[in-house]
Amino acid sequence: MKPLQRILHVEDDVSIQEVARVALEIVGGFEVSSCDNGQAALSQAAEWQPDLILLDVMMPGIDGPTTLAKLREQASTQAIPVVFMTAKVQPSEIEHYRAIGGLDVVIKPFDPMTLAEQLREIWERSDVG
Amino acid sequence: MSDSKTPAAADVAARLAALREQYSRRLSDDLQTLMAQARELSTRQTGVDVESMQTLRQGLHRIAGSAGTFGYPALSRDAREMELWVQTVIEEATQPTPAMLTALFDRLEDCYRQLEVGATPAVSEPGGSYDLASGERAIRVAIMADGDTETLMQALGGFGYDCRTLSAADAWADSAPDVIIVDTAKIAESAWKPAVASVPQATLIMLSASGDFETRLKAVRDGARGFFTHPIDVPSLEHRLRYLVNLPQQDPYRVLIVDDDVDLAEHFRLILKGAGIESRVIDEPRHVLQGLRDFVPDLVLIDINMPGCSGPELARIIRFDDDWLRIPLVYLSAESDTHRQAQALAQAGDDFLVKPISDIALVTAVTARAQRSRQLSLALARDGLTGLIKHPAIKELIEIEMSRSQRSHSEACVVMIDIDRFKSINDTYGHGTGDYVIRLLANLLRQRLRRVDHVGRYGGEEFVAVLPGCSLENAREAIERIRVSFSQLECVAAEQTFNVTFSAGIASTTGWADAELLLEAADRAMYEAKQGGRNQVRLAKPEA
Repeated sequence: MKPLQRILHVEDDVSIQEVARVALEIVGGFEVSSCDNGQAALSQAAEWQPDLILLDVMMPGIDGPTTLAKLREQASTQAIPVVFMTAKVQPSEIEHYRAIGGLDVVIKPFDPMTLAEQLREIWERSDVG
Repeated sequence: MSDSKTPAAADVAARLAALREQYSRRLSDDLQTLMAQARELSTRQTGVDVESMQTLRQGLHRIAGSAGTFGYPALSRDAREMELWVQTVIEEATQPTPAMLTALFDRLEDCYRQLEVGATPAVSEPGGSYDLASGERAIRVAIMADGDTETLMQALGGFGYDCRTLSAADAWADSAPDVIIVDTAKIAESAWKPAVASVPQATLIMLSASGDFETRLKAVRDGARGFFTHPIDVPSLEHRLRYLVNLPQQDPYRVLIVDDDVDLAEHFRLILKGAGIESRVIDEPRHVLQGLRDFVPDLVLIDINMPGCSGPELARIIRFDDDWLRIPLVYLSAESDTHRQAQALAQAGDDFLVKPISDIALVTAVTARAQRSRQLSLALARDGLTGLIKHPAIKELIEIEMSRSQRSHSEACVVMIDIDRFKSINDTYGHGTGDYVIRLLANLLRQRLRRVDHVGRYGGEEFVAVLPGCSLENAREAIERIRVSFSQLECVAAEQTFNVTFSAGIASTTGWADAELLLEAADRAMYEAKQGGRNQVRLAKPEA
């Protein structure tokens, strides 16, 4: 199984971006790149080829689910697994994000000390790695 | 795999703390923006458009999704509930009434106030067993007053307590109330006693029609921790509740643990952490003075048997220094011989805890002593007129922030503020008016600066503020706003209205090598502001 190394984090809230960077880079030891909107995510994912994309659901402009759909349309990003990150509103919505192709869903607010571990578990549980 | 390197926990903690400070500043701004939006919508004559509601929703969503990560879980939940409400309004395409929007405003304002009063951001600790101290949930209050509980419930509910009548407390299911309030004027002893006895861990507060000594004594014997007579003064009652459940301190208590047994010390550290108490472990007695200076604990736990230097010897070394006279020193040891304990205490030290000690006993003993120590140092360090921190204490804080920012490579700013032409105010209107102006500025500074900032009264009309995790530019903006507000405040004395201004100088920790130089730099910048014509803010330029 390929180890999880590069994570692209897509999140419009800069505070969250920064705390996730600490959580993933320092605590988790991953390589992290971040951007703050869906459009940038499309080009950055194509260029940088991350192992996994951590994608915020609700963003101004193109939201998370639309970004996922567009990622699946372009060949270079088609196969990159996506984990949604969302402030849980209803359990059914979480089911929905899985149904539309999210590998899993990470609930906000997250604990910076365990976020990396959570992603690693999701990675190892899935068969994409 | 690249994850084999273990991060320095301290590094992570420092970075997270810096981010948290930044975040709490932004949070305060965001809440104010949302309040302004809700207020504006509630007064609109033309009806509310969907776009405005979407903007509100986005703002609430952002807080719901982020506040918890930065240690504000209750705020996160509140924001989520409000978000859901706004979402429902949008989805059902209903028109929110002004009353609904005002209610939303009130709720936002509540959140804002709680943030400003400073519910300490609690780092969420999965499985932590001391919910009360971690601030994870509302304090559960059961009221027994034979049905006549509505007024009190409403009043306390406004402060964020989760209030029920005790008969309905079954609805708390797996979680008993934290506090029981019994109104002995309204309910018979035979009715409340068994109910109270069934929840022995809850704290008891009694309300009574009579306040004589006999009644108070009886309350004490019945186990009451608070006693109030009718008519109930709700703010005092709330104050007592806070005190009893040990809710919001400005900062978590800090405990320095000196023990050569690193595993055991780590174990203690985790137990205390679970109770919301911060601690640092020192395994080498000779590093204790450095630890005291860096960490400034409220209490020191000392292992009695350590190689090279015994606990009582170490305690005496600590007591050599006037600065640490007020800090309780508590021995922790397997020593159960009371005679030898007494001997150890006779040398120095305040108390003895015997290992093995239960988690609860440790937390209780530490909390009680840390609380006293904190109250004492606060009382000693506060200025009587303004309630602000006094000169020596604020200097100490500047030193702490200086070394913290050097350690964590973050930036902090020191601001020196001096009221313009203060002498002429005193001369024209008298000293009473001078004091009034000082208090006015003190209140304004306290109101406008963040919870994490420190404000001190440095001299007569001179103030110092310390702004951690803040860049020079942000500090300038913040102080500039306060300067403008202050200059616009109308002061009234002897039936005359006048305005007062101040001059300020700001220096950043990144430009100076130590606290002394930093403070001097801020002072120089303040004098430049004076010379430049007063009523302005100047930044200190670091030496090349």
